[in-house]
Formats: sequence, structure tokens, C-alpha cells
Amino acid sequence: MTLALLLLALGTFLLRFLPWRAEKGLRAGQAGPALVVALFLVSAFGPPPSPEWLRALLALLGTYMGARLTGNLGLAVFLGAGLYGLLGLL
Amino acid sequence: MKRGLRAAWPIALGYFPVAVAFGALGAQAGLSPLWIQLTSLLVFAGASQFALVGLLAQGVPPLLAALLGLLLNLRHAFYGPALRPYLRGGPLEAFFLTDEVFAVALRALPGLPPGERRGYFLGLGLGAYLSWNLGTALGVLGAQGLLAFPGLGEALSFALPALFFLLALPHLKNPVALLAGGVALGFHLLGQTAWGLFLAGITGLLGEGFGERRRP
Repeated sequence: MTLALLLLALGTFLLRFLPWRAEKGLRAGQAGPALVVALFLVSAFGPPPSPEWLRALLALLGTYMGARLTGNLGLAVFLGAGLYGLLGLL
Repeated sequence: MKRGLRAAWPIALGYFPVAVAFGALGAQAGLSPLWIQLTSLLVFAGASQFALVGLLAQGVPPLLAALLGLLLNLRHAFYGPALRPYLRGGPLEAFFLTDEVFAVALRALPGLPPGERRGYFLGLGLGAYLSWNLGTALGVLGAQGLLAFPGLGEALSFALPALFFLLALPHLKNPVALLAGGVALGFHLLGQTAWGLFLAGITGLLGEGFGERRRP
């Protein structure tokens, strides 16, 4: 079991390190923006489609408003998360 | 580094409850506290850690469980090349390169003087790492009751989606990013999230020359 842990740790590290280190390796193209948008969508909207998506959308709206009003990323995240928690109590 | 540490707090906020859940899951599966903590200390990749522990608890052979965990992390191969124009990747930087650290760094690094980028990145990664490991330790020790306050656990679970949303906003007019997001969401709805993210990375690679231009 420890060997499995070490394999996962080493493999994960190499997946992160080697393509970054390689001078003439993988070209990123639009992978950065593509992955950020993809990570957002899969983290915010869990399958299957449900009323929870509406709750998530409302909380995202609160996050956006928080960002516009405060200009602070961390505070906006805090406000959005708080709104999501409050909506769950309704 | 201080600037990066300060920027890490939204990530830390989101990591904490997930890490507590991971620690608690490992303890419930009968794994030793030391082994569970070592997983967070050495792997530092949430989804694959959950997969490893879950598969081991189901009796899957350990090496197969590790390989399946690695498959979940294939998307990480795209992160370094996307950051390469702004920061040269060393071993320590690579170790800290999670989804969330990548997304925050991709937004922040282009606006920083080159001499400050490494310190910022390491601070960002360190903040995330400390939260992940503190949460794991508390979960192992049975502190998931911390999250029992009404609404708190759910609120914290939304910190990472909210963070990703703000980081994704500047890219929502980029057709390649939108297509990649659609691919990822489609696979996600079919229960194949890891493959969806991997294919989103491929879509981004193939989309070079379309959509937004890379910032200098």
C-alpha cells in the first residue's frame, strides 16, 4: 500500500514537473484558459442537472457582485460561499 | 512570498473542508493516521487522493488504485506549459501545482514583475498546502464535527467553485475556452469528469491561434 502511495506521489509530481520543465516540450496553446473555464463548470455544476444548479447560479451572482463591489477576490469568494450556505438553509 | 500567501486564502478556505472530509474518509476506511497524512503530504492532489483511498477501501489492488489515481491527474500535464511563459518550473513549484494554484497563478503571474513571480507562486502553493494538510490532520482526528454548524460545511464547499468562477470570467468570451468548458461539462454530466478535463486541455492545445492572445 505504501508503494501505491509512493507511485501516485511520484507520478503526479512528474506529470506536473516534466512538461513544465521541458524547453521544447508541449506548447500550451489555449490550454490555460480552456482548463480554467472547464474547472469552473465542473466544480460549480454537479450532475445530474437539478434545482441545486439554480442555487449555484444565485451564489455565483453574489460572488460576481461581491467582486464588483469590493474588487477583492478573496472577499468575493467569501461572500459567494456564504450566500451558498445561506441558500441551503432556506 | 507574503503576497502569494495572502492570495492563497480563498484556496485555503475551499481546501479545508475537503481535506477534513478526506481525513475522515481515510480514518473510516481503517487506514492508519500516518498513512493518510503522508498521502496529503506527498501527493497533494485531492481527487486522486480520494480515489486512492476509496479504491483501497473497496479492496482494489493498491498498484491498480495508484494507476487509476494517476489517470485522474493527467490534466496536470497541461498546467506547466501554460505557466511557462511567466515562470520557469522547478521541482518545488511543480509539487505545488494543483488545479486551484494553477488557476490563480495563471491570472496573477503575468501582472507581476518577473523577479517576484517565483516567490508569489511558492507562497500561493505553500498556503494551499498548509490548509490541505491541516484539514487532513483534523479529519483524521475526528474533527469533522467542526463543519456540522448549519450551512458552514456547504458554504465552504462552494469556495472553490466561486474562486474558479472569478478566475474564468476573463475567458468567457474566448470561443476555445467555451468549447473546452462545454466538452468538460458534457463528460462531467456523464460521470467522466477526469476525462472531460483532459479533453478540455487537448481542446485548448488544438485551439492555438483562436480566441484570446497570450498576455506578454
